Amino acid sequence: MECREARQKIHDLIDGRLPPRVAAEVRDHLGVCGPCGAEEAELRRAGDMLRLWSAARVEAREPELSALWTRVRAGIEERREPWYASYLRRWFWVPAAAVLVVLALLFYPSDGLEVPFRPKSFDVTVESIESESATVALVDKGEELPRVIWIIENGKT
Amino acid sequence: MTGNESGRHPDEGLVRAALDGDEGAFRDLMERYKRRAYGVALGIVGDPDEAQDVLQDAFVKAYYKLSDFRFGSNFYTWFYRLLVNQAIDRWRKASRSPTVSFDDAWVSGETAEPGARVYPKTPEELAGNRELAEGLSRAIAALPEYHRTVILLREVEGLAYEEIATILDCSVGTVMSRLHYARAKLREALKGFREG
Repeated sequence: MECREARQKIHDLIDGRLPPRVAAEVRDHLGVCGPCGAEEAELRRAGDMLRLWSAARVEAREPELSALWTRVRAGIEERREPWYASYLRRWFWVPAAAVLVVLALLFYPSDGLEVPFRPKSFDVTVESIESESATVALVDKGEELPRVIWIIENGKT
Repeated sequence: MTGNESGRHPDEGLVRAALDGDEGAFRDLMERYKRRAYGVALGIVGDPDEAQDVLQDAFVKAYYKLSDFRFGSNFYTWFYRLLVNQAIDRWRKASRSPTVSFDDAWVSGETAEPGARVYPKTPEELAGNRELAEGLSRAIAALPEYHRTVILLREVEGLAYEEIATILDCSVGTVMSRLHYARAKLREALKGFREG
C-alpha cells in the first residue's frame, strides 16, 4: 500500500470503519512506514488528550452537577402553565362560538325584509375649517342624526 | 431499571414512564446522561457556568418535548440534538460578546519545564500540566463550532458518524471532513509534547 492511500484511510482505521482485510493492509503499512505510523499515533493521541481534557473539566464541576436536578426541577416549574391553562385551551371555542351567535343574530334578517342592524347611507354636507395645525370638519347628516365633528391634527383623526 | 432496559433502546422504559407523569423516571434519564451531556456542552460553549445553563435548559426542553420522541430511536441522539443546538446558539451569542474569557480554573499545575513535557495519563495529570491543558483549550476554542461539536461527539462520546450526522442534521461526508479537520488541528496543537 502507498503512503497516500494509507493516510487517506487512517481516520477510518482509528474509527473502526474499515473492513478487516483493508484494516490489516493499512496496519501493515503503518508498521513499516515511520511517517505514516507517527501520523496515526499523533491522531490517536489527539483523541486521548481530548477525552482527558473533557473528563478533567467535568470532574472539576462535579458538585454543581450533583445539584442539577434542583435546577432542572425549578426550570420545569417555571415553564409549567397554570392549572386552568389547559381548560382555557380546551373550552376556548365556547366563548368564541357565543360571539359568533350574537353577531349572527344581530345581522340576520329578523322578518325576511329588514336587516336589524344595517348601516344606512346619508347625504351629508361637510363644512371644513382649516387652521395651521388642524383641519376641522363639520359633517351634517340631516335632522335625524347629530352633527359630527372631525378634527384632523398632524395627520391623525 | 425497567423491563426494556436491556434492549436495543435502553431508555424507552424510562421515557414511557416519564410520559405517564413519573417525574422520577425523567430524573433517572437526566442522571444517566448529565455528565456526558455536560462534557459536550462545556466543550462547545467553553464557559462552565454557561455550559450548566445550557444543560439545564436542554433538560427542561426535553421534559416538555418528550412526546416528540420517536420510540425505536435512541433517546441520547434525540436529546443531544436539543443540547447541541442549545449550546451552539449560546456559544454564538457569547462569542459576539467582548467578555468571552478563557476558562482555566480547572487547571491546577504550573508551566512544565521543557525537558519534562510528557503526555498525561489521567484527567488529574492533565489538570496538573498547565501548558498542555491551556494549549488544548486554546486549540479547541479556535475550532469552528460545528468542527468542535463533531470531534467531541466522536472522540469523547464515541458516537458513530451516522449518529453525529443525525444530531447535526448533515451528511456523513460532512461529519467526516469536519472530524478530519478538527483532528488535524488538535494534532498540531500537541506537537512539541512527547510520549511519557
